[in-house]
Amino acid sequence: MRTRAVVTSIFASFAVLVVGWQAGNAASTSVTSSPLASGSTGGNGSTGTVGTGSTGTSGTGTTGATGGTTTTTTGAADGTYTGSSVNTPFGSVQVQVTIASGAITDVGAVHLTDADGRSVQISNHAAPILRTEVLSAQSASVSNVSGATYTTRGYLMSLQSALDQAGF
Amino acid sequence: MPVQTTSRTQLTRANVDRRRRYARRARRGDLLVVLLWTSGAAAAALFLAYGGAGLFGTLGDAVTSIGIITGLVGTDFVLVMLVLAARIPIIDHTIGHDRAVAVHRSLGKPALYLLLAHGIVLLIGYGISSGIDPITEIGPMLALPDMPLAFIGLGLLIAVVVTSLVGVRRKFSYEGWHLIHLLSYIAVAVSLPHQLSVGGVLAGGTVQRVYWIALYVVAFGSIAVYRFLEPALSSLRHSLRVDHVQQVSPGVTSIHFSGRNLRALGSAGGQFYIWRFWTASTWWHSHPISLSAMPTDHHARITVRELGNGSGRISSVPRGSRVSIEGPYGLFTDDARTAPKLAIVAAGIGVTPVRALLEQASLAPGEATILLRAGDASETYLWDEIETIAASKGARLYTMLGKRSRTAPTWMPQADAQRGVTLTSAFPHLLDSDLYICGPSAWLDLVEADARAAGLPAHQIHSERFDW
Repeated sequence: MRTRAVVTSIFASFAVLVVGWQAGNAASTSVTSSPLASGSTGGNGSTGTVGTGSTGTSGTGTTGATGGTTTTTTGAADGTYTGSSVNTPFGSVQVQVTIASGAITDVGAVHLTDADGRSVQISNHAAPILRTEVLSAQSASVSNVSGATYTTRGYLMSLQSALDQAGF
Repeated sequence: MPVQTTSRTQLTRANVDRRRRYARRARRGDLLVVLLWTSGAAAAALFLAYGGAGLFGTLGDAVTSIGIITGLVGTDFVLVMLVLAARIPIIDHTIGHDRAVAVHRSLGKPALYLLLAHGIVLLIGYGISSGIDPITEIGPMLALPDMPLAFIGLGLLIAVVVTSLVGVRRKFSYEGWHLIHLLSYIAVAVSLPHQLSVGGVLAGGTVQRVYWIALYVVAFGSIAVYRFLEPALSSLRHSLRVDHVQQVSPGVTSIHFSGRNLRALGSAGGQFYIWRFWTASTWWHSHPISLSAMPTDHHARITVRELGNGSGRISSVPRGSRVSIEGPYGLFTDDARTAPKLAIVAAGIGVTPVRALLEQASLAPGEATILLRAGDASETYLWDEIETIAASKGARLYTMLGKRSRTAPTWMPQADAQRGVTLTSAFPHLLDSDLYICGPSAWLDLVEADARAAGLPAHQIHSERFDW
């Protein structure tokens, strides 16, 4: 009787763990595979609901006129652009990017993952790192901040949508 | 002749029933074991289900995830321990109160280790993620909401487990130890907020949330119902009072109770209750004591030997004192038998449950053999009553009188051991019997060892010890 109980326990525990693991992987692949930024529905969790005031307060008229010829990079209009709000399991992420003279001059968070205390702490830790990396890379292709995977992903997705608006 | 055939078939039918009951009980027991382990696995699996391999993407993530899993499994075990300590009837009927307590006890240290690992591994994991060392990480971690409470909870659990270590527990009175042990409820309660706010585990997903809420409700619910509500109601309903106290021999008294509808308590012969005598000097003491006779509707009886302070005081409780009870508990009953024959060994005050068990059991002549042991003639409590019952039910009764040998480890008086008496010579049908043993723990262990050496399988050995 005892052995039967032990064998069944081992089998049942193992089965439960495998099912959990598989379910977790299935769920997280569907998160990663859902397209970046706006529009698409369906991807669970990460549906990029397009940010509301997405145009942002476009910087006052002067389209980089004064002598800004040196920046050959893009035809991006100067101004502040708000990216779409990206949902993560730990709360939504939304960032604002400031473009001046065709370069990213500042990135700031409108909203960061804050579902629980730990998420807030992670956000506070990751945000300055991401800001520095984005400013030096001048794009949304920067590496993941370890321990802040969801925050990073949301941050960069929102940033990319803002950059897209700017035509950056 | 036809008469004999009838009694034969009845006997076999009883055996078939007994075997079927045992098979059912064993299946339920196996199910409990499986549930215990699977619940631990489920705690981990539900966490994995909301992240999978992604939870182990970076070193910091992996360490943090491991830390979370140890915490979840540890918490799961603590809640399972509460369930085991709740004295839920189905668990008591399946594995008996003392097995439940033994499993509860054996989970204590693993659960604490898992929770300690939870704290330490998470400090390392968080530290790696934010690039600081684990010791420095304590600061930011304590800054998280509800974390100071969680640390207090862990500290309380350490106190509970340390005071329960065998060596340490002896230094406490039962009441002192129990008071500290009750801190575990607080420990579990104060660590709950951080699971909600920091862990976000209960917010993560529906299945996980449902699982944990269900586990908390079952654990605290069963404690509330079976440790507090049900005993209180049952005590009120049956309104037990001390009727009179009768001296059986020096230091041993029978306490008679009056009450209402006591048969409805459903006690089986051999079971015990936890008694509390509501007088100014005794109410804070509880005593696990077996009934020494089957209750009638208005009368119940226990027989106690004055051992500790507590049991000395209850024999001088005045008539009419209110008494509350929890129970009945235990599998030291005729119902738990698995084999055709019945063998009973009892020593000293250990005869009390045996007395009640024999009274209730329906026995065929020759089915039961009883061996009573006492150090000297003054310790032959209730032997006369057992003799009468044994004679009326056709049970064979042996007695052993005399001090145990001080040189050799034996459970018998020295003279009997030297004569070459063994468990199998006293009980020739031992292997076809259920062996019921009741007496002091050290003595009981020796009988048990002999029985096992004779080849008696564990499920045919039924022991009753009152060590807490």
